[in-house]
This record gives sequence, C-alpha cells and structure tokens, in this order.
Amino acid sequence: MAVMHKTILGYVPDVSPIYRIHPFVRLFFLLVVSLFPMLISAPEWNLAIILVVILLLSYSKVRFATLKLYIPVSISMGVLIFSSYTILGGRHPEFRTVFTVLGFPFYYERIIAAVEVYARVLPMIFVMVLFLSTSRERDMLVAMRWARVPFVITYLTAMALRAVGMVIEDFSVVRQAEKARGFDPTGKSLAYKLRQFVMYIVPLFALALRRSDEFANAIVARGYSFTGLQNVSRPDYVLTKYRFRRMDGVLVAAISLVLVLILAARLGFGYLTLETSAVLRLLERWLGGGAT
Amino acid sequence: MTAAIRFEAYTWRYTGTQEPALKNVNLDIEQGTVVGIIGPNGSGKTTLAYSMNGLVPNQYRGARKGSVYVMEKEVMDFSQAQLCQQVGLVFSDPEAQFTAMTVEDEVVFGMENIGLTLDEIRARLDWVVPLTEIEPLMDKPPYEVSGGQKQRVALASVLAMRPPVIVLDEPTSMLDPLGRKRVFEVLGRLKREYQSTIVVIEHSLEYLVPLADVMVLLYHGEVLLVDEALPFFERMDDLLAHDVFPPGVLEFFYRLKVAGHYPVPSPLPLTVPSGAMQLRALMEVAR
Repeated sequence: MAVMHKTILGYVPDVSPIYRIHPFVRLFFLLVVSLFPMLISAPEWNLAIILVVILLLSYSKVRFATLKLYIPVSISMGVLIFSSYTILGGRHPEFRTVFTVLGFPFYYERIIAAVEVYARVLPMIFVMVLFLSTSRERDMLVAMRWARVPFVITYLTAMALRAVGMVIEDFSVVRQAEKARGFDPTGKSLAYKLRQFVMYIVPLFALALRRSDEFANAIVARGYSFTGLQNVSRPDYVLTKYRFRRMDGVLVAAISLVLVLILAARLGFGYLTLETSAVLRLLERWLGGGAT
Repeated sequence: MTAAIRFEAYTWRYTGTQEPALKNVNLDIEQGTVVGIIGPNGSGKTTLAYSMNGLVPNQYRGARKGSVYVMEKEVMDFSQAQLCQQVGLVFSDPEAQFTAMTVEDEVVFGMENIGLTLDEIRARLDWVVPLTEIEPLMDKPPYEVSGGQKQRVALASVLAMRPPVIVLDEPTSMLDPLGRKRVFEVLGRLKREYQSTIVVIEHSLEYLVPLADVMVLLYHGEVLLVDEALPFFERMDDLLAHDVFPPGVLEFFYRLKVAGHYPVPSPLPLTVPSGAMQLRALMEVAR
C-alpha cells in the first residue's frame, strides 16, 4: 500500500507524479489559471477548465472521495448565485420573462448572467481544490521563497498557517471542556448558540494571548529577528531540498502562453465571449423560445 | 573550572508584582556540569532559566538588580542573537515553540537564523538527527508527532545551534514515562560524549538525580541549597520541608537510615538498580 503524504486538504500517495513538479509551478498554476475564468465568459470554456483540473486531480492520484466535501460547497454557491440573480434580482420590465414562480419573474437575461457567473466561479473552486489537495503548507512557503518573496512575508504566512491549526485545536479543547461541565447546545436555538459562543471566545482569546507570548519567546530564543542578524545573510536550507527542473520551466512557460492566448483571443479577436458561446445558443433555443 | 553562567546578587521583579521572582541569587554553573534545579511551583525556576538566555529582561518588563554572566560576559552586553548561540533554551511545552511546517524545517530554523552556511547546516543535521533519534520524523509536521518526539524535536532544534550551555525548562512535564526516559537518554549522551553544560529544571527527579552533578534548591525566589547530588539528597529533611519530594528509592533508604537500619557512612543510592544492590547487601549482612 502506497505511503500517503498529508496535504493541506487531504492525502496524496508518495508515488504521485505531482511531487516531480516544483511547488512554485503549482502556486503559479493556482494564481494564473484562477485568472482564466475572469477572462472567459463562454461557459463551455470554463467547463473545459474544470475538465482539465479533474484530469490533473486524477493524474496527481488525489482520492476523489475526499473531494465529496466540495460538492455541497459548489451546490450552495450555485443556489446563492442563481437566487441573487433571479429571485433577489429585482423586477426588470425591460428583460424577457421565461417563467414565473409564486409571483417572482425569472428573466432570461438574469438566468444567462447566473449561468455565466457560476461557470466562472466553479473552475476557480476546482483550481483551488487542486492546489490545496496536492500541496503542503511547506510547498506554499517554498514556492514563495523560490520566487524571492522576502523571508519576513513567507515567515508571517507560515505563522498564520500554523495559527489556524492552533486555534482549531484550542477551540476543540475549550469545547470539550465546556461539554465536560454539562454544556450541551444540542437542540437549542441559533440565537441561544450564538449568545453562548462568548463562552468559547473568552478562553480562546486568553489562550491566543498566552500562545503568542510563548511563540515570541521561542523564536527570540532561536535567534530570529525580523531585521535579521547584522552582517549575516540568511541561508535557505529548505529551498535546497527542491530542484527547479527544465520541465518546471516548460510548464511555467506553457501556463503563461495559455494566458497570453486567452488574452489575445478575448481582447484581440473577440472569442470566449457570451456572444460566441455555444452554450448560450443552446440556452437561448431552450429558454429564449418561451421568453416574452 | 570557569563558570559558564554566574549569577551575582541577582534580583528580578516583574512589573505589576509586589515580590521579586528571584531574590539576591548567587550561583555558579561550571562548564561541563549537569545542574538540576528543583523547587515548588512559583519558586522562580523559569525566571532563572529565562535570565540565563536573556529572555528576562529583553522580553519582559521588570526591575533588575545584580548581574548574570554568560561565559564571563554580562548578559546585557550580548545581543539576543549572540546570546542564543551561547545559551540554548528548551521550553516545557514543545508545541508552543514550533514555528515550522516540518520537523526538518524546525530543526534548521535556528541555524538559518544565525547565518550558518548550507554545508554547516547539513553537517549539524547529520550530527543532531541521529543523536535525538528523529530521522523517521523529518518530513512530518512537528505538531503531529507524539509528545516525547515533540520534545526531542525541540531539543534537536536547540542543539543544532551548538550552544555551549543548554537550559531545559521542565522538558518532561508533558511527557509519558517513556518520553521522559528518552529525553534524559539524549541528555546523558550529551554529558558523556560532549561534556556539555546542561541546566535542567525538573519536577520529576527519577531520571534527573542520577544525571546531575550539582543540584540547586530554589524556594520563593531564593537559592536555599546548592550541592553535589549525593550530599544534596542527604539533607532529606530540608528538602521535604521545602516541598521537594525526592525519588522513592532515596526516601526509602533515608527512612531506613533514620530508623538505624542503614549504615551511616554509606551514601544513599540514587537509582533503583543501585538501591536494589544496597538492599541485597543489607539483607546478606542481616542473614
């Protein structure tokens, strides 16, 4: 059985080919490919990005079972977007009504806008899931340091990532302590639960203060200062554990090239727009036919 | 022998408190010795440790009198970065001191801070990783390993900076017996193989007593007793009167001695194996 490596969102086997790719490339992919949907209006192209990401998840040997968690997130996001564009979108006599539910008109233009926005948001979620499923916190820091981001910033990022884990742990301890003393909010109203939340906040705040004190002592005791030591250049041992290969360079160039192509297609030739979208034409045939 | 650390009429009072945490402390910690510091909670042990590596007064507010010398140089004359290369401090809660995402990064953190070369970092890793037996953990997040492993990681991260003096503030307070044993095994190796100067603040004396060359009793901020381990524990009444509970084997033989069943000139055994031998000898004499 393959040894699993823990990533930010789950586990990836150590035989995964994703480990041959430098962390910077993964971060670059996240940052650049997340931009693609902002430049693309045609839903089919954004769905194509999702397909590519799914193929990459499969190539990286990410367990799809762990991704089930994001199905409700994606559905909720869709419901929110669809509701805000339709039911909560107000009345617009200038738009074409497709159908009416309980007196709420569903306009053709608003449905198209909701589909467009949702098709933009979904690939962003998928790209983020790919990054978080295949990267560890350390990879993120290595990527930033490799890109010559100042150490102070990467270190603050590391501390922030570390702090999230600590707060979650502390919260769990405080909650167990409250439960052990008979506090059980099960079945109580949301308002009651929110009021009682203060019980968690106070000890969490005290713990956070104590931890920050200990943390400051720990880093000072090991010679850390934000300004660094005088006349001492700080080596970066961690970076030596990773090699940026020719293939990584090719991947960065390929991702950049795709970005340039998308920009050119959109801004130069007017492709990837709603007007040129095959999905839009289908929707128009399906919904637009009944629109008044 | 020169003192690695010397306290001279040292007093420290934290801002907002009435009583000094440490009062007129005079103490020499010789190079190459293992010093055990014991005392009940609130006796000033942690403040003493923090005073050795400059966290007090650099990180805390308060009033200071007297002097603390590290390698014959006043602590206040060091920068914090210089001082951490002289005195390494291991805290009681290992998890609170972790700053990195993997054990390897954690061990390397201090070495990077003091600007060692990459070759030197690799050489020190080759030394400290087997010494503290953390090879299998190097790729793991430090906060996901067991308590004993965490403390060995914390110890490794300090040892890697090769400070001449290592101060451990209750290093086993959060560990199970096996974790405790393994931490003290590492300290034992440091004593035997590297003649390191080690200061251990500890409540659990079972492993400390056989290792310590000198014991110090701190009580309400004052140094009440400093002596070599054997004569120190001969003063059992003093210790018990100041809320120090020696290891069971020592107390057992002390009670035998008080009851007249143990020959007065013989030293009290410090460990269970030496106690068993003494008891066997006593029984044979009685037979």
